[in-house]
Amino acid sequence: MSMPAYAELIAASNFSFLRGASHPKTLVLTSILRGHAGLGLADRNTVSGVVRAWTALNHLRDDGWSPPEKLREGGSPGEIAWRDDPLNTPALSELVKARALGFRLLTGARLAFEDGAPDVVAYPEDRAGWGRLTRLLTLGNRRARKGDCLLRFEDLLSAPEGLMLVLAPDRETDPLKPWLERLNEARPGAVWLGAVMHRRGDDRRRLAQLRALSAQVGTPLLATNDVLYHDAGELDLQHVMTCIREGVPIDQAGRRLLANGERWLKPPTEMARLFSDVPEALAETLEFLKRPIFDLSQLRYEYPEEPIPPGRTPQDWLSELVDRGLPVRYPEGTPAKVRATLDKELAYVGARDLAPYFLTIHDIVREAENRGILCQGRGSAANSAICYVLGITTVDPASHDLLFERFMSADRNEPPDIDVDFEHERREEIIQYIYKRYSRERAGIVATVIRYRPRSAIRDVGKALGLTEDVTARLASTQWGSWGADIPDARIEEAGLDPTNPMIRRAVDMAGRIMGFPRHLSQHVGGFILTRGRLDELVPIGNAAMPDRTFIEWDKDDVDELGLMKVDILALGMLTCIRKALDLMRFHESADYDLATVPAEQADVYDMLCQGDSIGVFQVESRAQINMLPRLKPRRFYDLVIQVAIVRPGPIQGDMVHPYLRRRNGQEPVIYASPKPPHDPNELQKVLDRTLGVPLFQEQAMKVAMVAAEFTDKEANGLRKAMGTFRGDGTLHTYEDRMVGRMIERGYDPDFARRCFDQIKGFGSYGFPESHAASFARLVYVSSYIKCRHPAAFACALLNSQPMGFYAPAQIVRDAQEHGVEARPIDVNHSGWDCTLEGPRGAPALRLGMRQIDGFREEWADDIVLARAQPFDSVEGLMRRARLPVAAIRKLADADAFRSLGLDRREALWEARRLPDDDALPLFAAASTRELGEELDANLPRMALGEHVAADYQTIRLSLKAHPMAILRPAFAEEGLLTCAEVEARRSGSCVRTAGVVLVRQRPGNGKAIFITLEDETGITNLVLWVPVFEEHRRVVMSARLLGVEGTVEKSAEGVVHLMAQRLFDRSAELNRLSSDHETAIQLSGADEFVHPQHPRNLRVLPGSRDFH
Amino acid sequence: MDPHALAEGLSPGMTLADARARLPELRAEHYEPDADATLMGRLLDDFGRFTPMAALDAPHGLILDVTGCSHLFGGELALGQAVRARTTRLGLTARLALAGTPQSARALCRFGSGGLFSADSARRAIRALPVAALEIPDRDTQALKRAGLKTIGEVDDRPRASLAARFGAVLPTRLDRLLELEDARITPHRPAAPITSDRVLLEPITEDSHVETVLGDLLVEVCALLERSGLGARMLRLRLFRVDDGVRWLEARSARATRDPVKIARLFKERMAAEGEALDPGFGFDHLRLEVVRSEPLAAEQTAFDQQPSRSKALGDLTDRLAAKLGEGSVLRIEAVDSHLPERATRWRPTSQAINTDKASSTAGPTPVRPLRIFEPPQPIEAIALAPDSPPARFRWRRVDHRVVSSEGPERIEGEWWRRRERVRDYYRVEDAEGRRFWVFRAGRFGEEPPPRWYLHGLFP
Repeated sequence: MSMPAYAELIAASNFSFLRGASHPKTLVLTSILRGHAGLGLADRNTVSGVVRAWTALNHLRDDGWSPPEKLREGGSPGEIAWRDDPLNTPALSELVKARALGFRLLTGARLAFEDGAPDVVAYPEDRAGWGRLTRLLTLGNRRARKGDCLLRFEDLLSAPEGLMLVLAPDRETDPLKPWLERLNEARPGAVWLGAVMHRRGDDRRRLAQLRALSAQVGTPLLATNDVLYHDAGELDLQHVMTCIREGVPIDQAGRRLLANGERWLKPPTEMARLFSDVPEALAETLEFLKRPIFDLSQLRYEYPEEPIPPGRTPQDWLSELVDRGLPVRYPEGTPAKVRATLDKELAYVGARDLAPYFLTIHDIVREAENRGILCQGRGSAANSAICYVLGITTVDPASHDLLFERFMSADRNEPPDIDVDFEHERREEIIQYIYKRYSRERAGIVATVIRYRPRSAIRDVGKALGLTEDVTARLASTQWGSWGADIPDARIEEAGLDPTNPMIRRAVDMAGRIMGFPRHLSQHVGGFILTRGRLDELVPIGNAAMPDRTFIEWDKDDVDELGLMKVDILALGMLTCIRKALDLMRFHESADYDLATVPAEQADVYDMLCQGDSIGVFQVESRAQINMLPRLKPRRFYDLVIQVAIVRPGPIQGDMVHPYLRRRNGQEPVIYASPKPPHDPNELQKVLDRTLGVPLFQEQAMKVAMVAAEFTDKEANGLRKAMGTFRGDGTLHTYEDRMVGRMIERGYDPDFARRCFDQIKGFGSYGFPESHAASFARLVYVSSYIKCRHPAAFACALLNSQPMGFYAPAQIVRDAQEHGVEARPIDVNHSGWDCTLEGPRGAPALRLGMRQIDGFREEWADDIVLARAQPFDSVEGLMRRARLPVAAIRKLADADAFRSLGLDRREALWEARRLPDDDALPLFAAASTRELGEELDANLPRMALGEHVAADYQTIRLSLKAHPMAILRPAFAEEGLLTCAEVEARRSGSCVRTAGVVLVRQRPGNGKAIFITLEDETGITNLVLWVPVFEEHRRVVMSARLLGVEGTVEKSAEGVVHLMAQRLFDRSAELNRLSSDHETAIQLSGADEFVHPQHPRNLRVLPGSRDFH
Repeated sequence: MDPHALAEGLSPGMTLADARARLPELRAEHYEPDADATLMGRLLDDFGRFTPMAALDAPHGLILDVTGCSHLFGGELALGQAVRARTTRLGLTARLALAGTPQSARALCRFGSGGLFSADSARRAIRALPVAALEIPDRDTQALKRAGLKTIGEVDDRPRASLAARFGAVLPTRLDRLLELEDARITPHRPAAPITSDRVLLEPITEDSHVETVLGDLLVEVCALLERSGLGARMLRLRLFRVDDGVRWLEARSARATRDPVKIARLFKERMAAEGEALDPGFGFDHLRLEVVRSEPLAAEQTAFDQQPSRSKALGDLTDRLAAKLGEGSVLRIEAVDSHLPERATRWRPTSQAINTDKASSTAGPTPVRPLRIFEPPQPIEAIALAPDSPPARFRWRRVDHRVVSSEGPERIEGEWWRRRERVRDYYRVEDAEGRRFWVFRAGRFGEEPPPRWYLHGLFP
């Protein structure tokens, strides 16, 4: 029996947020498997899912059906959808491939109106139609608040050209006739009436009515199943999603749920049976497909031409800019090597037609320069001589290896990649400049698809299933951090719940199924897309939650897939800090530098780094990096590039760190893994010579796949994509057999092959390419230079750029003091809002600013500075002259900022209490005289040092008076507890007891150990807790602010000291002895994972995300 | 937080999740201020045994003014012991303090460790109390502590003017009250009198009609009392004391608060009729008492000009009367429930209970046709159907064969999987050769194992 011909033309994917219950690619694959002739993907008022479906179809056409995944061992979310599919075989894969070639994918949207009109599914028939559709959706999006779309039927009727319209069958909007007639008038010949058979009881009667209606109006009847999910078994998931959307638990959802589970992709035979009364409706689906249909491949991208002066071609304008830039970069004449490189690059750029891309970036960077905003590019194309000469980067190609050359030689059809980092406090200016320069019709921020993660999945699903907040919170909290793909039973037990309990089981299972589903769209941190024509005719634009921001519906993968140009405008805290430091140096120390002119390769800077003295330095300030520095001993720029990249998931998971270190230290010969004859035994040497034969960078891992496993361009591209995005589309594992197998086949050591792939998997969770490392390494060097030569300016700039980086102000100030900087307290007669430098040129002192005071406002500080023509001599005088509210005065008194008036904290507070209310009596105000009479001395009790310290910590989070541990020291010394410095001095293997305040707690990677950093008045101690010890002392670790430890000292060859903890004691109560009225608030580092669960990208070594985006 | 939890290092103000992270075996109970308040109210009444001058010190304290009472218990010490014995018997932990003024006793109890104080010892003890005992706003307490003034004594030693300049006049006043320099009396709690009315009769009565007459008089009084206190009765009890010591009683309930004597009289009349002989006056009743057992606030009502009661009020009165006559559970009404499953779509509710009136917010369009009469549980039938979506060609119900001549369907309803696994149902409306119309369904899919079963679920008129 031959299969009836049918195509499902109304299908919603899970990009119809909380409505559709299947991924777009699952819908495509399933309809091909079930023998449909095509698929119409129409999500509710959005086209955000269509690129994924389109990509999936292209993939099936090229490669057939990828082998099914083997086991779910964590991995990334999206894999779920493939799990239940029938077993795949090579034959089936070929069949899928063959069918995919003839399969037609319609990409459109389901328009849901706000004015009571029935839904209309719209498919563009040509490029112009697509533009109409996206403009229509843009109109609806811009009218609504973020995430909503307000469309009216009129909007569609006014511009329906180029669209094929299907009136979706909807009982709510009976009678349909007037709507259908209006639609048909607006777009005669391209309107259909959809009919469904959802087993609602009166299906056949209704079908007859619709048939009559379609004949009457003259619009063909179109059979459809109005699909919401790919398989019948997904009904329960759809129910739960409905509950989440409606915000009701499932047992109260009632008829908000679908009555039955009919809305899946039914096979053509079933559809033919259901529509046996009107076979013409079934046949119409094929007629529909025969019409001209718009395909996403018809989107042609054009670069904007703003930056190019009239009459010039992009290419010769770029050449001219390069020529103009050369004398600036090379005042002593361009080295021949650079000239040659430039010519080669320009030729390559010309051949690939990339000049407008470089010009656009150049234009943005120029604007930043004009505004005095520091910025730096990174990425594959950024490491070119062109970018250096144009001022986009500061990594001099004359003295470093040329990464772009490697990019050019890679014969991949990969779009060039330049991300530009800007000062985080001023990035918004650049963003608004881009909107202004290219207009909102032509510039938009790329979307980020917010997906269900374990935490959010269990929270939403649990709530929908009626679990109490308490239980879902406990389930959600079982995850360490917010990552991981599944919730294992052990974790459920850990939360004190029973994994065999059916309610819990169901919630966890469903959370597993919904994981990876898109939840909503949000804006990307800074990915801009710019076009020559109207952007809203390319993709719909919507409002972001932030004012003055708009973003498009596609995310960066979609944009890549369609080959659109993206410019990443990112914010980097360290650039703010460096700019502030450079300004301070110029003003206070007559040292005038910019990013590019900071003296390179200074030995004392590297000496400092080799000692692990890197608090505050960009990228290498984390514990793990500080430990690595003495082992790696960076002596030149390229060492920093490696330093930045080596403490990352990739090299760690691939077990590449130790081999590299051994080779570097000469403990192991540098040999290159090689294949058996007849293959070239030195084939990997070219790839790995910079890193002593050990692959460390993402590019190298890729290159190994291409060279050693003979990956084709296409395979390599697929692999790059699979690992390039940490969200992962779950296809990475499919490359494992291919790569490892082929390498072994070609004679590589199986262990090496496996490690190479493990490394790629590591890059999968967060890839770190050399091209980014190089740009970062420059900032590492510059910040190290400033820290080394100008510690006061460095600390001052760091404090003024907070929040950023790894360390709290207390550690930054302390580090500066240890480097000989005098730190001076906040004082109303000396401080401004920001921290400042004062005193002798050359060796200035650091004056803390009022920004350190909790809850203080910038405008108060500014008023104080403005009113400070003469020194303030009384609290009341300050209040009147600076027109401060009483609250501000109290905060200043609390922060002990009246010392220059001869008042300590307590006296100042007592005085401040007496101040009149904020509205001064008009008479006094007019006379600007004192209002308060003299008063007898209250003779307040003297404040003890401990109390001052505690109060300092409470108000400004640090104390220049003493370390809390110093005050507690006599008691601890009596107990025989050592200081951190004493611990450091002990021999390896000694058993010691010590105590300190907790700075940061981390549980890296595999989680077998917990790292805690303690601090006292003499320094820091790094604790290592093995998991059994941690479990035993869990409560102490979670709660202690002051921790007592018993353990063994362990010293590495490089002199890095760790204390292997055996017993822990919560000594926080001691802190309370400092003061009964102040809580000694020890500020945990932003990297603390117990207080701030970390994103996996940052989990191990990266500073807080604020610094990184 | 109990002492055990405190010993484990938990502290008030901690979030539950934090506490759980430290102590997974933690048991958490909801704080129920209302229940606590009720308990304290009962305690207050109970402690009226020690003094008539008792007042609540919300939320968890009581203040007893025992001036002139202690000798009744054998002195202050004995009184203290008696109070402690009482609280211990009630299973409570209490801290007691006895001092010259309510404020000082309260401070010593709350911020000190309690005890019996003479004027001198009280002053000393109070001076040693922390400044929190002043119970001024937290900011001010904090400010005092920051200034190094941590005890009442230290504050007391500063000039009153300096303090008033910084903390307002309230601080010196508080200080004086604490230090017993000023006395502010408590406002004692007096339990509200129950609304009740009595008639003692010279001649015992036996006739129902006489009882009704007396009841009418009582009702007028009770309803006047209700009106004065802005209340309406939900439940009243009439006690009838027999000459020979026996007591009979009747209760009347109303679905809505009321103080309409005519309506209440009617309710009692229905009850009396329902009781009938059981009321048995014997030698007659010589004392009748009417008490309001349960009441609710009820605003004064304004009647319309035409004096016609509204329809809903009339219906409410009717159901009240029926319920009075037949019993609470006998008068029910149907409530709509939002569910696809027909047998779950309605629910019976006693009329006296509030009804769920929110409309089902369905987007699935109008509900398909349902029969008025539904069998619960559905009746199994034997039926034959030919194809997946076809209705039964014939079926047998209660030994009678029905040949189906016309039908419509299927209407498919999925089971509520989150309750229990149920088979999917396909409903058909069918009409047999005699023109009778049935609502039948097949449980399970066509061709499924075990084979689907057929049921009759309802009849169409």
